[in-house]
Amino acid sequence: MHDLPYMLAAIVGLTAVTVATRSSFFMLPARIELPGSVERALRYAPACALTAIITQGVFARDHEPYVSVHNNQMWALLAASLVFAKTRSMTGTMAVGMAVFTALRLWT
Amino acid sequence: MHRRRAFHGLIPPIDRAAYREGLRAMGPLGVAISVWGLVTGVAMVNAGMSIPIALLMTVTVFAGSAQLAVLPLLATSTPLPIVWVTALLVNLRFVIFAAAARSSFVRLPWQQRLLAGYLNGDLGFALFSRRFADDTERGNPEQWGYFYGGAVVNWGAWMGSSVAGILLGGLAPTDWGLELGAYLALVAVLIPMLHRLPVVAGVAVTAAIAVATVHFPMRLGLLLAVVAGVAVAVATETLRPQGQPHGVLAIADDLADEGEII
Repeated sequence: MHDLPYMLAAIVGLTAVTVATRSSFFMLPARIELPGSVERALRYAPACALTAIITQGVFARDHEPYVSVHNNQMWALLAASLVFAKTRSMTGTMAVGMAVFTALRLWT
Repeated sequence: MHRRRAFHGLIPPIDRAAYREGLRAMGPLGVAISVWGLVTGVAMVNAGMSIPIALLMTVTVFAGSAQLAVLPLLATSTPLPIVWVTALLVNLRFVIFAAAARSSFVRLPWQQRLLAGYLNGDLGFALFSRRFADDTERGNPEQWGYFYGGAVVNWGAWMGSSVAGILLGGLAPTDWGLELGAYLALVAVLIPMLHRLPVVAGVAVTAAIAVATVHFPMRLGLLLAVVAGVAVAVATETLRPQGQPHGVLAIADDLADEGEII
């Protein structure tokens, strides 16, 4: 992440992605509509993309799957998920997740 | 005087009372937006981004979940097309929001549509679509005013808090495992989405494939996992269509309900 041209190009592309998605149907001619099948795929893509990012980050180590009781991030993720599902509180979720991770890291 | 005219060129005529109503409606959500912005700002710097680059990203990209989602990819210098496609996948919900809200903006000049679209985030859309769900007239100063009231609070809270997070992130030691924070924040976006069978099935398949393919070069396993997960979700919906929302307005409302908490 220290390569400046790489980061600048990344940011230009990411900005284009934001504009292209948010403004998409505001800019297209009114006669163009979203086909039902595309609508359905679009609806599920964000949840799947977030899942792939989270699981590849938490359940992997050194490019290998890491599903083990020793995976501290996994326990932190599970605890945070439970807290969020119960309370819908972002602050509580972050606090519990980080606390579980730190506790496991220090005491195991 | 010049600035005023330029400003008028970018923003449609707005009704002042509706604008204030939009400010008041989004106001209480400012706290939640700020927590989210703070986490995103800290996470960006903690992932190794320099402060100027992180500031540039937050000011231009203006999409928290996409910014958090690409952080682990940027940190490992993943090829840019993969980074962009990942952000695109996370942002596809905005295409549905745009399709659902377009009737209120479609008659405006293109600059005004472009800016309104750029500002049409999850919470703004959720408030806007609920407030005018029963209106038959589409696109008037009242609707534009309410929209911009919400958008101003959303933009201000997000920018203020993410900039604060970036500056604070530079102060925190890097060995606190704070990169985990980005994943935890994304969990808060993901969980509310998991309230129907098709999406739960799709997410389960995605998770299994994503972990199994983590050694694939250039993060191609990630894209493969998403494609498979979406296919399973769509197939599940086709097999059991009962109770699923149909049509762009219903789907957008369903998605906006999910975004309510952040």
